Amino acid sequence: MFVTEWNSSALVKAATKAGKKKNALTPMTFSLLHATDFADRLLYNIVPPLKAGMIVLADRYAYTAFARDAARGVDRRWVRELYSFAVQPDMAVYFRVPIEVSVDRLLARRVKLKFYEAGLDMGWSSNAIESFRMFQGKVLDEYDRLVEEFGLSVVNATGSITDQQRTFRKLVSQHLEIEDDDDQLDEQLG
Amino acid sequence: MTTTSSTSSLADGGGARPGSYYGNGIPYLPIDGYPGKIIAIEGTDGVGRSTQISLLREWLEVQGYGVIETGWTRSELMKPTIELAKASNTLNKLTFVLLYATDFADRLEKEIIPALKAGFIVLSDRYIFTALARAGVRGVDRTWMRSLYGFAIAPHQVFYLKIDEKTLIRRVLQSRGMDYWESGMDMKLGDDIYESFRAYQRSLLREYASMADEFGFRVLDARRKVDVIQDELRRQIGAFLAESEAPPARPEDLRVV
Repeated sequence: MFVTEWNSSALVKAATKAGKKKNALTPMTFSLLHATDFADRLLYNIVPPLKAGMIVLADRYAYTAFARDAARGVDRRWVRELYSFAVQPDMAVYFRVPIEVSVDRLLARRVKLKFYEAGLDMGWSSNAIESFRMFQGKVLDEYDRLVEEFGLSVVNATGSITDQQRTFRKLVSQHLEIEDDDDQLDEQLG
Repeated sequence: MTTTSSTSSLADGGGARPGSYYGNGIPYLPIDGYPGKIIAIEGTDGVGRSTQISLLREWLEVQGYGVIETGWTRSELMKPTIELAKASNTLNKLTFVLLYATDFADRLEKEIIPALKAGFIVLSDRYIFTALARAGVRGVDRTWMRSLYGFAIAPHQVFYLKIDEKTLIRRVLQSRGMDYWESGMDMKLGDDIYESFRAYQRSLLREYASMADEFGFRVLDARRKVDVIQDELRRQIGAFLAESEAPPARPEDLRVV
């Protein structure tokens, strides 16, 4: 098993960081930098474990780019074509929450919303929470399109972690055709 | 992942109108009717692009044109990363291509489009054709590359300074010598830098040649003297600018040929 995270390659870290710090990224450069990060991880972190027969757990995949970039006004078809070098995942799971739950969770978690996460680069509202609501609302709309277009499996992420994990494991077990062990989950999560 | 065939690319190359996007472009940046012009000077290393561009700039400015220059990998955002990545040798052909595309997008949005809007002439030292050629030699999918650069704007004129392999080698050796990337050493064609350089530059020349028709290159012989090439550039650019500034033809001026 191997875990890979969105936006974690060393290659573009400096540019992404500098660009974010100066708020200098445009929707296009934001999109291309993340695609570069993805390409780097694909070749170094995703393809080799796949070749070795391992399971790669990807925390976010190209769909994140499809949703966010389109919400920023980048051409939908262009982003999809951009990522056509990506390996089609065997299974893609979308954890869905309504926008209000998402806002509440973020506010509970930390004081300040991040500039790009809140879509403040779009200039729709100078109020970070309001901007977040507008921007992430569009992102969620894009995800709804993706569910249909790419057949993503949906997990209702408003429930408790245990409930979500139970559904998630069921989906994965079905896919991998392995036994789903509910007792083990209860043990792990209490 | 699956790709849908579409018109959002520059797959039909020269089909795009100069000054418009090759493909669907950048939806949040409409550029229709912008008065500026893009003039691109393309060619491999050692053909004298920068000399020609600085001479052109002076000539245009004396005539009262606003001019900006833009060049490959010069974006504020990406320059340090590209330099670092080249030095650390961790690039593969895909990330190589994507870093260049990010650099181009940054310059397009921050330099080229604002200049076009303000009616400037953009002199571009290399354009997307350099990216297409380098990726082509490295075996990156052509259709994908053309789709990637669907956000680029078709230049009003593209001059290709053409050189032969022998002259190219002599010029590069006389100036700064062969470096790792210009020699295509990443392609592992062999350990001998001279042989690798030759093979790599030969394939590049082939790539450029194959694009000449597709994108309507104006081909100039780069082996001629600097001032002879400059005269030719000025003649063609001057004619184009005069034509685009002429008042629209009146119906009585139109004659049936």
